[in-house]
Amino acid sequence: MLKKILYGFGAVALLLGLYGFYNRLFIGERDVNYGSYVNWGLWVAMYLFFAGLSSGSYMVATLDYLFEVPLFKGTGKYALWAAMVTLPAALVSIGMDLGHMERIWKVYLQPNPSSLLAQMVWGYTLFSIVILHSLWLVSQANTPKPIIKGLMVVGFVMAIFVSGGVGALLGVNASRAVWHVGLLPAQFPIFSLATGVALMLTILSFFGTTDDTRRLRQVRVLSIATVVLLLVKTYFLWADLSMSLYSGVPQNVDAINEMLYGQYWWAFWILQVGLGTILPMVVLVLPGMYKKPLWIGATGILVLIGFAAARANIVFPALAIPELEGLATAFTGPHLDFEYFPSLMEWSVTIGLVGAATLAFLLGLDFLPFLGTQKQTEVTK
Amino acid sequence: MTDSGEVRDVTRRNFLRGLAGAAGATIAIAALEDLAANPDKALASYEAQIALAAKQAGLSTTTGQLDILERMHQELARAIVKPASDRRWVMVIDLRKCVGCHACTIACVAENKLPPGVVYRPVLEEETGDFPNVKRQFIPRPCMQCDNPPCVPVCPVEATYKNEDGVVVVDYEQCIGCRACLAACPYGARTSDFGYTYIEDTIPKSEGLIVGREAADDYERAANYEYGKAWSREDEDKSPRGNARKCHFCLHRVKVGELPACVTTCIGRATMFGDAKDSDSLVSEMIAQPNVMRLKEEMGTEPRVYYLV
Repeated sequence: MLKKILYGFGAVALLLGLYGFYNRLFIGERDVNYGSYVNWGLWVAMYLFFAGLSSGSYMVATLDYLFEVPLFKGTGKYALWAAMVTLPAALVSIGMDLGHMERIWKVYLQPNPSSLLAQMVWGYTLFSIVILHSLWLVSQANTPKPIIKGLMVVGFVMAIFVSGGVGALLGVNASRAVWHVGLLPAQFPIFSLATGVALMLTILSFFGTTDDTRRLRQVRVLSIATVVLLLVKTYFLWADLSMSLYSGVPQNVDAINEMLYGQYWWAFWILQVGLGTILPMVVLVLPGMYKKPLWIGATGILVLIGFAAARANIVFPALAIPELEGLATAFTGPHLDFEYFPSLMEWSVTIGLVGAATLAFLLGLDFLPFLGTQKQTEVTK
Repeated sequence: MTDSGEVRDVTRRNFLRGLAGAAGATIAIAALEDLAANPDKALASYEAQIALAAKQAGLSTTTGQLDILERMHQELARAIVKPASDRRWVMVIDLRKCVGCHACTIACVAENKLPPGVVYRPVLEEETGDFPNVKRQFIPRPCMQCDNPPCVPVCPVEATYKNEDGVVVVDYEQCIGCRACLAACPYGARTSDFGYTYIEDTIPKSEGLIVGREAADDYERAANYEYGKAWSREDEDKSPRGNARKCHFCLHRVKVGELPACVTTCIGRATMFGDAKDSDSLVSEMIAQPNVMRLKEEMGTEPRVYYLV
């Protein structure tokens, strides 16, 4: 039943996304709400989120295939498959954001090696090959372990670097005081791992094999790991906000205030802090809750929503502060605005990508033999 | 008595006003007659009178001196024949002379046929102080053409770079439209072309409301000549639509000995342009002044736009 609901959700979300995809591909960028001042919007935030989810899922897969933690034996393939379906969502999301997406080949054939963006395009392309290759190797029964382990080492290091690189992509911009901190590339791999763990928590809760007696312990351990990572995230957030507010650099303080009390207050307080951090921590530490897979799975989704909001809260407020006083009113026109809320088309594309990734994951579970669907039973039955 | 006194007073005042008006009109008519009869002599005479009046009032005047526009033209002619590496284009904006007319912004829009949402040179307005000590300042903000431009290294395809003249340019056919350069610019000096036109997107759609609408539409879609190349807006998908765009010091004009559009249009002669490697140039003189500053100098971007404050 749960799987049918999720199939239904995925299909409806993808249908809703068709409007956005059609609009973007055949009409253009006019219906987006980002512009020349808030120059990166929802699609870039979702690129950060999905890319982090993919690299985080790969990190989780190493528990099985690299570190060989007995408790997580057999779970790595789900994590790898999750990494595989979320990475294209990230790349499509950032691709939609390009003014000339037909020229993306130039990043491969005529790149600027010193550009973090070019490095990320190359990095994520190679990473997708590593994920695909890892999936291929683990799907083959006779693959020698050292070969899998060797590739997992490469993938693990890449997962850290590409997720940290995305932080650096923002952090190198000295023009945005709130991004320009060494902490940013350091916290992104942690955020990625946290989303990977939360997704795994949801996957195992919803689709874990019921004949696996270790499942409850897996969920228990992943719940604790999620809480710990949420605490680490909260510590990073505290360090970031308190340092910025204390030092009092105007552009930095303005961006933080924009996030806390400005146009994005609800995304911060309700989505990121309330639903994405406090509520999950409460649910996950309640005694015996790990025995309720539906609750735990839903809580994992809440954590993911919180991290998606956190990514948006890194991107939008920093761009919503004028670089120079008076710039906001100096010249008016479409897309010359420091206030930003994603347009219907932007939401549509993002919802469509969530739907497509969900459908792809479910279809993989049902039709890819190596994912062991024959043993899998819905926990709700 | 009071009433009659006021009446008398008003009458006297009105009489004097009438007399002054009549005298002024007579002088004006005489001046016009002079001008018609012997324009050169008349103008010289008036200029001399203006210069004298200005001198008596302690004001400076350009009369009798080379206008700075003419001077900059001559300096430009000297500079463009030099090798590119021997010249350094800079812009100097005298904020004391800027009156906030926005003529430079409009000249730039017209010269480069900028579509809605794209602006190269807005004029920022800043009001500071408390009544009665209030100051309003206008700050034209072109691209700073930084010598250490943060927008260049972030471009994933080297579509933006400093050309041989040291001006930061955008290769429209190389740009993928990622807007990383927009995020990197500390001055907000880049805008993205989202493909709008004024005729289609900013005025009422009803037919017959606007005379010359079709001609204006044709004009708007006709090519501009940024970077010395024709960029038409006929095609919905072609550059510069979808690209990052920015001020380029009107390189296409400079190349043929014309000053940037914003410089020639400035009614207060507040914007100056020239070769800073020419020690005799106006801009060299200006940037040697003690009251010169650059925006966000602490960021180490080394802007080539200087402000006199």
